[in-house]
Amino acid sequence: MPLTFIDIEKQKSWRIGAFFLFLLFNYFCIAVFFTAGIALYLHVPLQAAPRFLVFAGLTSLMIAGIHFWFSAYDAVNTVARSLDAQPPDPEDEVHATLINVMQEIHVVTGNKRKIQCFVVPSFSMNALAVADLKGEAAIAITEGLLSRLNRSQLESVLAHEAHHILSGDCLETSIAASLFSTFSSAIEKVGSASRGRAVASPTILLAMASVKLTYLLNMFISRQREYRADAASVRMTRNPIALAEALHLLSRSWRGAGFISSGFEMLCIVNPQATLLDESEGFWADLLSTHPPLGKRMDILLKMARISKTELDARSERRADSKLPKTSRPLLFAMNPQKQWQGPFAVAELATLPWLSPLTWITQGNEQPVGRAWQDPLVNAIFLTRLASPGEQKSGFTCPSCHQPLVTASCEGTQVSQCRFCSGILASNARIPRIIARAGKTRPCSERITSLARAAVSGNMSRRFQKPAHGKQAAIPALPCPKCANPMFRVFYSQAHLIEIDRCSFCGLTWFDQDELQMLQCLIENRIVPEITVPEA
Amino acid sequence: MVAWIILAALGLALVFIVLIYNGLVSIRNDTQNAWKQIDVQLKRRHDLIPNLVSTVKGALEFEQDTLEKVISARTKAVSAGSTASKAAAENMLTEAIGKLFAVMENYPVLKGNENVLRLQEELTSTENRISFARQLYNDLVANFRTKLQVFPNNIIATLFNFLPEEYFSAEEEAKVTPSVNLSLRK
Repeated sequence: MPLTFIDIEKQKSWRIGAFFLFLLFNYFCIAVFFTAGIALYLHVPLQAAPRFLVFAGLTSLMIAGIHFWFSAYDAVNTVARSLDAQPPDPEDEVHATLINVMQEIHVVTGNKRKIQCFVVPSFSMNALAVADLKGEAAIAITEGLLSRLNRSQLESVLAHEAHHILSGDCLETSIAASLFSTFSSAIEKVGSASRGRAVASPTILLAMASVKLTYLLNMFISRQREYRADAASVRMTRNPIALAEALHLLSRSWRGAGFISSGFEMLCIVNPQATLLDESEGFWADLLSTHPPLGKRMDILLKMARISKTELDARSERRADSKLPKTSRPLLFAMNPQKQWQGPFAVAELATLPWLSPLTWITQGNEQPVGRAWQDPLVNAIFLTRLASPGEQKSGFTCPSCHQPLVTASCEGTQVSQCRFCSGILASNARIPRIIARAGKTRPCSERITSLARAAVSGNMSRRFQKPAHGKQAAIPALPCPKCANPMFRVFYSQAHLIEIDRCSFCGLTWFDQDELQMLQCLIENRIVPEITVPEA
Repeated sequence: MVAWIILAALGLALVFIVLIYNGLVSIRNDTQNAWKQIDVQLKRRHDLIPNLVSTVKGALEFEQDTLEKVISARTKAVSAGSTASKAAAENMLTEAIGKLFAVMENYPVLKGNENVLRLQEELTSTENRISFARQLYNDLVANFRTKLQVFPNNIIATLFNFLPEEYFSAEEEAKVTPSVNLSLRK
């Protein structure tokens, strides 16, 4: 027997209340552990300890309070400003509908609280709710979502957000966030100020463990709140299908990753930093994400309506807007430099990501093959357009790792070919000594390159004398030569200069990955040589 | 000593009674306020209808019958005195507007008219608000009734003569039993 929305709301409210109390208790514990740690560190005499504890506890609460006041006092205006959100324009047809639907939501919530409404000028699809200490509350919805939802879907989304405001979720979130940030930064400061000595004390370790626990608790409560707001939205609109459809739509679109900054993610209807983690179900994934998986939320809603997911798909297909061109291509997830899967993106949205490179890993979803961005012909087209800047001459070679055309560049007065994406350099063997010899005259090598070079040399040195474990070592695939496409040899520049380079013995060309040429220059310049240790007989 | 204990128990009971009484009053007021909200939205609908009718009159020459029905239903709804007759008239008006919207679908001229579209949007919103207001009222009534019936509350409710409010029935049921008791409005 599936739970009704009233049951779900009750159950979740109970859970949220209990866990929020537990969370506050946890913060109290952190404060006690933390001050006890400081007291031990400062060698406070035992009889003064209680007074010290009370004093420090009050101070930390005051700091958290001030932080809370500043972060929550004017939150509505802050969020609106940072997202460039505007109040809806009554002359605009779609915005007029939004205003009306907002009024309807006021009616269904019994006019308990005046909720403002904002439109965020972005194509992404998301909605968020904020409330502040001044008593103002607002719901912001992006133009992208607003234009794609029909009336009943819009109602259900706004009801979801309105419940976040009316139930006090928004304010509780900011209380929890300010307490959390105050404590975690204080502990970090103590750790660094005492150069790790205080960290060794058991009470500080306990405090750190509690901070981690509160993080998990925050996540858990945030997820429960989403379930509760979903149930409350159904209570208001009596239309679980509309909300399920809206979530289904959101699950397939760009939710504003990179546009909505990360402080607001708990306020949104779906997490903008959508990672694959959020969509995977399971104990660990559940533990670490702010929002429950959309699939699970939809399942609960569809159970209320007693229809299956295939039925939902069939319905939305029947009503599919003929105006919208059907996307024949599935959407893509991409791995950002922090090694998180983001998405889903359409190709055009991918093109706007600043961190997208030909070597970025992309995939179409869970359990789909993962490949480099250049391997997908449509995504590869992005790079061709990026490359088309005037004044740059293509050298006729392609980058062996990115597979993009190389451009001619000047390096120390000599022509070489360079990749615009990975900064690798292709030079003919005859020219390398010139480049290296001239480099020292014009500019000394930077600290970063020096340390990189040292690390590379000592790493390569130790590897040279170790026999590779038999058959265990994964072979790095040899890069193809940009000219003749035969595999290049991966060799050291010379036995004295242990920088790995790729060389084609047929064409006499050498490929330097990013920084490798500078490292080689630095090596020769500063005479960095591997330390030779004589093995004992 | 015994006297003190009895006094304390009495005081506690009094506090308990006051709390329950206040809770019941606040729910009753919420419920009555929700009822007023329905009225506000109905009034809004009455104000919008003449505008819509005068805007579409020109295009709907051959649909005078439908328009007449809307106008007469509105007049009845506005002038209805008793709650039961009012509920019946409002339901007739809802039906008539539904028919008018269905008819308007067949006139592409109207679909392109910005004024008509705006009015239609306003009326759709009003219809939604009316149904939301009813729904809220019914939810509150259900809540109120539960509060009246659970154990310690029922004693206090009978003591202070709290009466359960009536549900606002949906259209179909209202037609079958127009004698529905809406005694709340005095």
